[in-house]
Amino acid sequence: MDERAPLTPVPSPAPDAGALLGQVARGDEKAFARLYDLVAPRIHGLVRRVLRDSSQAEEVTQEVLVEIWRRAPQYDPGRGSPTAWMFTIAHRRAVDRARSEQAAADRTVRIGIAAVDTPYDSVADEVAVRLERKQVRHCLHQLTDLQRQAVTLAYFQGNTYPQVAEILGTPLPTIKSRMRDGLARLRDCLSAGVTA
Amino acid sequence: MTDNVHSLVGPYVLDAVDDLERAAFERHLRSCDDCRAEVAELREAAVRLADDLWSVPPPALRDTVLTEITNTRQLTPSPAPSPAPARSPRRLRLVAAAAVVVAAVGAGAAVYAVQDQRVRDERAVAEAARAAEERIRAVLSAPDLEVREQPLTSGGRVTVASSRLTDAGVIMLAADSAPADGRVYQLWTLRGDSPTSAGALAEGQAATVRIVPGLPASSGVGVTIEPVPGSAKPTQPLDALVSL
Repeated sequence: MDERAPLTPVPSPAPDAGALLGQVARGDEKAFARLYDLVAPRIHGLVRRVLRDSSQAEEVTQEVLVEIWRRAPQYDPGRGSPTAWMFTIAHRRAVDRARSEQAAADRTVRIGIAAVDTPYDSVADEVAVRLERKQVRHCLHQLTDLQRQAVTLAYFQGNTYPQVAEILGTPLPTIKSRMRDGLARLRDCLSAGVTA
Repeated sequence: MTDNVHSLVGPYVLDAVDDLERAAFERHLRSCDDCRAEVAELREAAVRLADDLWSVPPPALRDTVLTEITNTRQLTPSPAPSPAPARSPRRLRLVAAAAVVVAAVGAGAAVYAVQDQRVRDERAVAEAARAAEERIRAVLSAPDLEVREQPLTSGGRVTVASSRLTDAGVIMLAADSAPADGRVYQLWTLRGDSPTSAGALAEGQAATVRIVPGLPASSGVGVTIEPVPGSAKPTQPLDALVSL
């Protein structure tokens, strides 16, 4: 394990991600290295969850981090937190990759390789973020079943809302509404600071 | 009809929309302060879903990324957001309609693959399809987009969106049903009185989205129903004519 990589999870990159991002926006490569250490494991975790393929997840994680460097000067704190900005980039890239036809072709080729490789981070995967994780889990369970399924089928598996509607056998307008009110309920619960 | 686009707010925040719906929604966002605020709030909640996920990337990735950024030029800061130009509800509806048509014909990929049969290599087809979608998206999000629509005599409608800035247009055909056996829909661009084929649909095909470079220089777009596999010049009466 590289000694520069953090070995213990940081509960949230929020505390100084904003300050680092500001320095990165001015072309500070050292600040970018620190930002990398702060957010790369979470970005990689998210991308890997959506793609379910380690080599593709690495490629996309790399693209996302370079994209964060490239677009940092355009980050506007008035429009959202640095975490939301970075994870929006990461999620969109992961979903785009998951949906591309190329990915389908690549996946079939790579299955053989993935099957023999022991994932280097199978243990690291289990290392967990504690407090926040409990909170978001608690809040997810405040959603109705349909809200929770609609939100998670889209966010974690990269399904489009018509796909989610089909999986759940529910009309499209209902799915659109459940995604919206599910997220709203999640927001209300998280901002209430409830911890389980 | 703005409500229709806005109902995508949940799917948009979850990235559960396709590219064209995303483009339509982002156009909507530009003209709606409340919607931007709602997106920002829901997005803060959505990213928390990733709280649970943690996977340390291979150490080599760090070196790769840090090397790559030294060769990657950063973007310049965005200019202060300009006041959103007024968008007519009709136009929003049409852009959303384009998204629906594209979704209906399989995100344009299948259409493009049929169109360009010289490209045999699957990988190239996939890339070409993505490139076509990118170009369609670029046209549909152009600030000077003009959208016109006409009903088809045979049932359905044809929508033409064209932008001088991008010097291209998008023709969206959504017929109620495919023509009888042995006949196909064919699209034409008109310059003065002389029609040029903008492509025929396949037999049994009732909907398509086509990008047409140079469309703003045309005086109109016509639709006819021709014998398979399409004609060099229109041989049948116009099923619809959209004047530009």
